[in-house]
Amino acid sequence: MLAVHGFWSEDLGLCLWAEDCEPAVTSPSQAVRSARPHPFAAGADDIVDVLPQVARGVPAVATLLLPSLRRSPLDSPELVRVQPRTYAGGQPMLLAWTVPVLCFDPAAALAVLELPAVEARYGASMHYLAQVAALSRDLAERGRVLPAIEPGADHSTHVGRWRPVLQGPDIVARHALAAAMPPVCRAEAAGPHDTSGRSPSDLVSHATTAMADAAVRERLSGAGLLPRRRGRPPRRMPVAEAWIESLTRADARFPAGSADVGELRRALTPWAEFGLGATGPGRLTFRLVEPEWDAPGPDVTDVAPEESTGGPDGRGGPSPGWRLEFWLQSVEDPSLLVPADQVWGGGGVGLGRWLDRPDELLLAELGRASTIYPVLADALRSPRPGGVDLGIEGTYDLLTVAAPVLEQAGFGVLVPSWWTHRRTVGLRGSAHSARDGVLAGGRFSRDSLVDFQWQLAVGDDLLTGDELAALAETKAPLVRLRGQWVALDPEHLRRGLDFLDRPPVLPTNAAEVIALAAAHPDDLDTPLPVTSIHADGSLGELLAGSAERALQPLATPPGFEATLRPYQQRGLSWLAFLSDLGLGACLADDMGLGKTVQLLALEAHQRGERPEARPTLLLCPMSLVGNWQREAARFAPHLRTYAHHGPERRHGADLESHLEKADIVLTTYQTATRDIDELAAYTWERLVLDEAQAVKNSRSRSARAVRRLQAGHRVALTGTPMENRLSELWSIMDVLNPGILGSAELFRARYAVPVERHGRSEPAARLRTITRPYLLRRVKTDPTIIDDLPEKIEIKQHYRLTTEQASLYQSVVDEMMRRIETSTGIERRGNVLATMTKLKQVCNHPAQLLHDHSPVGARSGKVNRLEEIAEEILAEGDKALLFTQYTDFAELLLPHLSARFDTDVLYLHGGTPKGRRDEMVERFQSDDGPPLFLLSLKAGGTGLNLTAANHVIHLDRWWNPAVENQATDRAFRIGQKRSVQVRKFICVGTLEEKIDEMIEDKKALADAVVTDGEQWLTELSARDLRDLFTLSEDATDE
Amino acid sequence: MSSWYPPARPRPVADGIRARSKRGAIAQTWWSERFIEVLESLGMDARLQRGRSYARKGQVIDLTVEPGSVTALVQGTRARPYRVRIGVTPFDKTAWAKVTEVLADNAWYIAKLLAGEMPEDIESVFASVALSLFPASADELSLDCTCPDWSVPCKHLAAVFYLLAESFDEDPFGILAWRGRDRADLLETLAALRAGTHPADRDTSTDTVVPLADCLDAFYTLQAQAPPAAPVSAPSDALLDQVPALEVTVRGADLVDVLRAAYVRLGLPADHAADG
Repeated sequence: MLAVHGFWSEDLGLCLWAEDCEPAVTSPSQAVRSARPHPFAAGADDIVDVLPQVARGVPAVATLLLPSLRRSPLDSPELVRVQPRTYAGGQPMLLAWTVPVLCFDPAAALAVLELPAVEARYGASMHYLAQVAALSRDLAERGRVLPAIEPGADHSTHVGRWRPVLQGPDIVARHALAAAMPPVCRAEAAGPHDTSGRSPSDLVSHATTAMADAAVRERLSGAGLLPRRRGRPPRRMPVAEAWIESLTRADARFPAGSADVGELRRALTPWAEFGLGATGPGRLTFRLVEPEWDAPGPDVTDVAPEESTGGPDGRGGPSPGWRLEFWLQSVEDPSLLVPADQVWGGGGVGLGRWLDRPDELLLAELGRASTIYPVLADALRSPRPGGVDLGIEGTYDLLTVAAPVLEQAGFGVLVPSWWTHRRTVGLRGSAHSARDGVLAGGRFSRDSLVDFQWQLAVGDDLLTGDELAALAETKAPLVRLRGQWVALDPEHLRRGLDFLDRPPVLPTNAAEVIALAAAHPDDLDTPLPVTSIHADGSLGELLAGSAERALQPLATPPGFEATLRPYQQRGLSWLAFLSDLGLGACLADDMGLGKTVQLLALEAHQRGERPEARPTLLLCPMSLVGNWQREAARFAPHLRTYAHHGPERRHGADLESHLEKADIVLTTYQTATRDIDELAAYTWERLVLDEAQAVKNSRSRSARAVRRLQAGHRVALTGTPMENRLSELWSIMDVLNPGILGSAELFRARYAVPVERHGRSEPAARLRTITRPYLLRRVKTDPTIIDDLPEKIEIKQHYRLTTEQASLYQSVVDEMMRRIETSTGIERRGNVLATMTKLKQVCNHPAQLLHDHSPVGARSGKVNRLEEIAEEILAEGDKALLFTQYTDFAELLLPHLSARFDTDVLYLHGGTPKGRRDEMVERFQSDDGPPLFLLSLKAGGTGLNLTAANHVIHLDRWWNPAVENQATDRAFRIGQKRSVQVRKFICVGTLEEKIDEMIEDKKALADAVVTDGEQWLTELSARDLRDLFTLSEDATDE
Repeated sequence: MSSWYPPARPRPVADGIRARSKRGAIAQTWWSERFIEVLESLGMDARLQRGRSYARKGQVIDLTVEPGSVTALVQGTRARPYRVRIGVTPFDKTAWAKVTEVLADNAWYIAKLLAGEMPEDIESVFASVALSLFPASADELSLDCTCPDWSVPCKHLAAVFYLLAESFDEDPFGILAWRGRDRADLLETLAALRAGTHPADRDTSTDTVVPLADCLDAFYTLQAQAPPAAPVSAPSDALLDQVPALEVTVRGADLVDVLRAAYVRLGLPADHAADG
């Protein structure tokens, strides 16, 4: 397992290096005075093995100063060792070590820093450098760059560069980044005697400069700044033109005589210096102060129309009240703000220590600001200007136009909080169902007629006739309405009123209202933004996202072999409701709540009503095909399933005849992608995407294939909450209801960037409103769910072998059966038990049987499935206990899981000393402790109290319910307040499944099982053993 | 051999002061233009032309602005540079006291000057005390050059004039200094007028680097939480409207116009930017 670290080097660019948990930790050399090779640094090739995309990096060697003992560097916190390292005494000291590195130029660095770590774990330095890259990209995308010229490596060439221009908030951001830099990022030794390390500010500055240049070039690549020349280019390109062309090329060099370049550089001096002066420690900040009102404030309706022009709401000359104050603010500590009056007085707390000449700085800033914001000129015509009176129009202009420009130019602008969360006047649509739907049975449908009307509203509040009349008279862009300020462009209001008088074609049925509610305001041709769409009856419940609670729960369908819990009944009626409306539905319940059962109940319900329905196509990961088949057979035995996968799958007419006899067709994402031409030719009753995060990357082949499938209804099942992964939400919603959230680029601009990068709340709220009709997510802790949940949910987790596992399994069976058949007595018993062990090892992971220390990769179906489950557990913020009988398997999983999920994983086995055991239990039980705990069944089975876990996973089986239950009880103990989910891994078609069936089949069992674990199996006849061991056909997909 | 004829070209200077402007007029702001107008009122286009080319070639070696005079060395054709002096009558103390009072009453002027701009109405300040900041004509200036050329202005004087105008472009305080009050003096007096005293203890915080040896405890971890980026709503080409104007053209178009489309493109969603 590798822990990958990064640093920025002024000579080499981005450098990646890694620690490896395998090699010995001590250096053979004792020479502490010179740099020795880092004893457990990974080679460049090893880094490429775990991050194949970095193969383009240039290998080099760097000298790093690292905290060390005399013979060995200390481990980083991200490095995971199966046997934790113990440090002998001795104070850590800083020593120089040479490490192999991969270097990347700035363009490659931008790409590398976006790569996820899968087979390795990133150190904090990598996440940190990704933030530096994000700032650089942001500067480029906001145009905070200016073109410049730098001398090239030799005298005949020069280099065109984009220099980032940092002012105001960007300077603060860069300061904050420099202050946050992990020391390892600046540990590159500058010389043989260097011990202080590089300056964080210099490195951040160098890195942002280099990467912002690369980001601009990336954005502008493929398009020159100048139109293509007609005819022959001149023999000697004018220097300015050569320079301009170098600014969009990957190769930034351009040739020119030094005199020409010198002239151009001199002419560019004002730009080369622009923004550099503003990096001082203080800046001008404007603060908008609103008029004081006695509560409850007078309102727009309180002012008689004829008086309104003279009142505070009126337009005309500046009215007292709105004032823009001048403050001086510290760039390094934005909370340090001093009003201008104090600055002129020469006082102010700490002002003298903070700034050299605060008054001159403030004056210079005011002078600079008055060029972009001429309103200031009048205020400056006084000896000690403290602010400027704006009036309402002026305030509106400041808020809407000037403030963003001032901010970009490096000035601070503080506005009242109501503006940040401002409510504007907009249109509110209301739909009234013509025939009010009785919620159940009323057969509300897409064609149900509605009466629709538009009204004006502020936020969600409808405006009364009086208020409208008063607003129309006021003609001021900011008005006080119901005690709050509201921004209102009079021209917009006028157009809004016209619109109400002569509205365009109104929606007439439910489908049109649903489409309207899903639209982004920018895509609607209305004079004012649409603030909300309301409806009554079923339509209203749907739009409000409350249909699940309002609908009459459907009864468990006849012939369905399970009793649905109350929330599952509600889920079923919700799915049926959306299905009737032809709306794609995403069921995103927490794992363990029974999404599979609800979907099967939907199929049973619908096929009970309409037996002639066409088959449903269900896509799932390969590891889940078996699970679906078995759950369908168990809960809905009358539904006919056909598994379309594996090399034997049908095609053409053969497939068609199978489809005629099937209710549910199961296939995997890979198979569906491969057979897409054939599958897309059918129209399916329903398309179901299980583990729908499989299509989260909308450009992947499977996501594109899925979009081609024709179906009357679409359902996605996913257990990972998507609120925090907006591109995934887009991708799934776009498959369910094509086009609902606009194109991927529009979505990024409207939602993903504002929400994820800038943390804005309104786009997030809008997104919730648009998607809530189609999304049902219940969490385990939901009060309406929790009472319905049993204390313990037992789940059999089926999975399949990979091809490698299957062939290994077969060869073990062949060889061992030969041995069993030719042996007797104790030897035979020994052979049977050995076979069991070997087969169980194969099911765990090929490397566990082969003992070859080969990489984990995607070679085990069990590990693949475990990763999928663990991902959901971690996404829900839960913790899990993972039990295995085999320390080999645990030690293989430990580094793998910790790299895969970038987290510490605890590991307790028979050899763990008592003190360490207690310490691990305590860590696990604490709120921010590691979420995964690997335990050997024997060591961890008793005595421990691990109630922080609400998931227990039995990775391999002892087939002794008593032992397994004892282990399960570690989590399921006094103090456990949540419902515990217990999963037992069972591989389809292997001895795991067959023995499980035998145990379930109590008749065959007797009590032998309970008493001596696996011993009873040794008494089986050769024929029974062969049946038990032989691999069934459906054990693997390939 | 006619070796006694002087060479036709001036001797090259290694690190002279070069005018930033490449062609056309040299002065870029209205206030430096005012100076050039005085010079150009003297006529003699050809000599001014040569003066400009001297200024652009870097023939002027040294330029000092002092109260009442500007002195410079200009490398001509002879080995020894010529000494050039442009004199003007400085304002006396009383006059400056009155001007300072007006300036102190109206923060606008100093705010603009500190931001690198000569306020457009500066002349009214001097007019209010019956003075004129800019010389009205060449008669108010004394122009001297040690070159053998008998005409005034000679190309050496003209070169200095152009460079002086350019230095006023960069720092408008220079004009006031020439008239007798340098920047530091003026600001000091104004600050005193505003507040009485100046804060005494000044401490410039420098960027200190924590030695790595003091970071061993948390060597691999973040030292602080970096805040998320702030939302921005200004257009991506806003910077082009904030930078000073340049005299740079590319294929006949102004640099800002050449760059505009690219800046707009920087702000578009990535997929748009890629297709062009």
